[in-house]
Amino acid sequence: MDIEKQFPPLGEWLFGGEQGELGALWAWLLGICALLVASLLASWVFGTFLHGPGKAGDKIFKVISGTVSDLLHISPRRVFALARLAVKESIRKQSVVGLAVFVVILLRLAWFVDPGRSDPARVYLDEVLWWTTLLVLALSLLLSAVSLPADIQNKTIFTIVTKPVRSSEIVLGRILGFIMTGTVLLAVMGLMSYVFVVRMLDHTHDLTDGDLSAATATEGTEVGKTGVTQMARGHMHEVRLDDDGNGLTNVAQGHVHQVAAVNAGGGVSYDVGPPEGEWVARVPIYGKLTFRDRGGKPTDIGINVGNEWMYRSYIEGGSKAAATWTFQDLRREDFPRGKLILELNIRVFRTYKGRIDQGIAGRLRLVNPKNPDVYHDLGIFFAKEYVIDRHEIPMEMEHDGKKLDLFRDLAPDGELNIELSCLPAAQYFGMAKPDMYLLKREGPPWVNFAKGYFSIWLRMVLVTTFGVMFSTFLSGPVAALANLAALIGGFFVDMMMRLGTGEEIGGGAFESFIRMVQQAPMQSKLDSTVATNVGLFLDQVARGIFVVVSRLLPDFDALSTSNYVRDGYDIPANLLLIHVMMVLGFMLPALLIAFVLFKVREVAK
Amino acid sequence: MQSQATATAPAGPPVSTDVVIETRNLSKIYRDFWGRQKVRALKSLDLEIRRGEIFGLLGPNGSGKTTTIKLLLGLLFPSSGQALVFGKDASEVTKNERIGYLPEETYLYRFLNAEETLDFYGRLFDMPAATRRQRAARLIEEVGLGWAKRRQLKEYSKGMARRIGLAQALINDPELIVLDEPTTGLDPIGCREMKDLILNLRAQGKTVLMCSHLLADVQDVCDRIAILHQGELKELGRVDSLLKVRGETAIRAAGLSEAAQREIRDVIARHEGRLLSMDNPTTTLEELFLTIVRDSEARPGRRAVAAVDERS
Repeated sequence: MDIEKQFPPLGEWLFGGEQGELGALWAWLLGICALLVASLLASWVFGTFLHGPGKAGDKIFKVISGTVSDLLHISPRRVFALARLAVKESIRKQSVVGLAVFVVILLRLAWFVDPGRSDPARVYLDEVLWWTTLLVLALSLLLSAVSLPADIQNKTIFTIVTKPVRSSEIVLGRILGFIMTGTVLLAVMGLMSYVFVVRMLDHTHDLTDGDLSAATATEGTEVGKTGVTQMARGHMHEVRLDDDGNGLTNVAQGHVHQVAAVNAGGGVSYDVGPPEGEWVARVPIYGKLTFRDRGGKPTDIGINVGNEWMYRSYIEGGSKAAATWTFQDLRREDFPRGKLILELNIRVFRTYKGRIDQGIAGRLRLVNPKNPDVYHDLGIFFAKEYVIDRHEIPMEMEHDGKKLDLFRDLAPDGELNIELSCLPAAQYFGMAKPDMYLLKREGPPWVNFAKGYFSIWLRMVLVTTFGVMFSTFLSGPVAALANLAALIGGFFVDMMMRLGTGEEIGGGAFESFIRMVQQAPMQSKLDSTVATNVGLFLDQVARGIFVVVSRLLPDFDALSTSNYVRDGYDIPANLLLIHVMMVLGFMLPALLIAFVLFKVREVAK
Repeated sequence: MQSQATATAPAGPPVSTDVVIETRNLSKIYRDFWGRQKVRALKSLDLEIRRGEIFGLLGPNGSGKTTTIKLLLGLLFPSSGQALVFGKDASEVTKNERIGYLPEETYLYRFLNAEETLDFYGRLFDMPAATRRQRAARLIEEVGLGWAKRRQLKEYSKGMARRIGLAQALINDPELIVLDEPTTGLDPIGCREMKDLILNLRAQGKTVLMCSHLLADVQDVCDRIAILHQGELKELGRVDSLLKVRGETAIRAAGLSEAAQREIRDVIARHEGRLLSMDNPTTTLEELFLTIVRDSEARPGRRAVAAVDERS
């Protein structure tokens, strides 16, 4: 799983870390203050132009005091009445059609996705999460953006605003109503998706005596049976049974089956259990990643093998280069099964082909961080691209004839270094921090699935809030377009920020255009001509705009946790809490903007 | 609206000196997106409406009647001047707790039925559930929609929609009722019932502000009127005094013989008066229509014209 953005613990994220970086809360408060001052100033200048400075100030004061009063007098009964109305309106607007579309999508998946693919769980989860996100966000986007303008156009709003209803209650009621509708839709889709995935993954294999033959041990004695199961869902398993006829299949399509012999009617039949390990929610413990270069000197990053995506660093094989993950706060009681499970998902970069069907050899070494002379080699393994290597680390091991206890000798203070090196010369291993982890436990997949849907819900809440906010001052179609632009822009916040800060190689849009026309490489300096200078100046302006816009838009991409569910990793509660904070951080100013803009709007104009 | 009161009702209780609505130099200019003046809809309107009176705003299309009402309800903001309702600025939300508003058209949610509509508006007044239920049931009966209370409003005729619109305007038992063209879309019976209801509201001590271009309606019910034209106030006063024709005397009598009529003519001539007309009076078309309908209901199957003949 590629997790480019690693989030610190919630407290550190909110209030800042030890390195003095600004916490999200302070950054948010600064942003809000800047936004408030800018909007007050702009309102006053505009008001002065229309009414003169004194009256403009008076009007601004009235709006502020009125908004504060509105917020203090919000009536839950009125808000819920308006929310109920929004729900009824959603039903009237046939939003349940979204469910019918979803059923068609599930049918398409059931009929057209090949169940024999190498990782069907990943495919099904990816598809259902993607389609759910798309449908729910699209419905929320439209419903939230067109409702209020439609009320204003039909003048039904007249019968609302002539009642003791505050602008804040109208805005909140709409948002709440559409969130309720979206929640129900999402819950139904989630339930349907869960049942669909479980049913699609559930299978067993037939296994009869005819499929098995006697297995022989190295000394030639018969020990149990071995064989291959019948084909089911496009795959079969090798199976090895003990003398009692019980055993386990090998891993195929990411899962295994338990096999049990059943004596019935004088004969033996075999009961192959449901798939295990196909859909999991691993709870990993991540370590801190550092590197050693080819000379063995410590360094922060490894080698770039030419990828534009600099997420992973590489270490060179056949040298002293190594990647070291330092795990902290490990406790014996966290691993009740008497062993540590280490999973590794690294990239392989070959400078020569070698035997392509065979992985590249690597070595894992457990090292005491306080005393590097105390170590234990886990042995040689062969790394392949996109394959998770799983290693079991026993609590006790032997090194040079000496018995080592994992927690006593290698991780005495709960701190353990695990070193990875690549063995063949001129071959490389690439890794990022999350590529190696210790498996703390495996959580229930349905809980992780629900967490994934909660993330979709958070994004739906944000889209609904933005939709209603835009609809307080724009017409329905324009509000929907603005909401769509915010949503799409929200998926490219990172790129906009890189463009804004000049990190993107090749410059901005104008510089790129000039480079295309001049056929100039991205790294070369452009000749100083009038056209180039104008282009570069315009890029500077655009950069400022990109920085501002990327600060104003929520990062919808970062709010997604579908990759966790799809790749079988538990979504950390810390991450969800950070996402909740991020959503609140955007919702609160959006609500305030909506309250004020709707309050100063003449609905009968 | 089941009342069968007839014609112009007698004057209601004495009008209080409390001012319910006050406008001071109230003006409204509609501007385009760029702030350029499009229309000057209302020019320096000064008005006072007192508690317990029925006040009519009259004027041709575009005279500023609806703009005035929208300014008083806070649906529009004044370009200059001030609009006060119950002593509060018209943009103040809390004033709406004491106001009922029937818009020109029935702007209600068509996917709700009558009960849901009244329940929804009741909730907007923060009413407890029991009060909402009780008032909704009473109002639905009063406006004669008990038989259609479970039907969605999109199935309602225009007249039915006006009735449920009126019910929503009264859900909070308001002190001030603002009616924009209240008889629009109603049949003659509905018009009469609406007028009776307006008079009934006044009898309960409520203040009614209505605007209409149907002069007969205004004349029938209003205590005072203001006539607007091109956004300016042209006339303001009591209906009876504004309509009084000075210098003419009207006599109305029944059962006079030809001789008696001749004698009256002589008396007028002797006093150097000029007889303008002496004839059998005609009824109004509204009165004729209502008589026919009532007679038809009382004696089904008979040609109703006979009833008119008999009456004449």
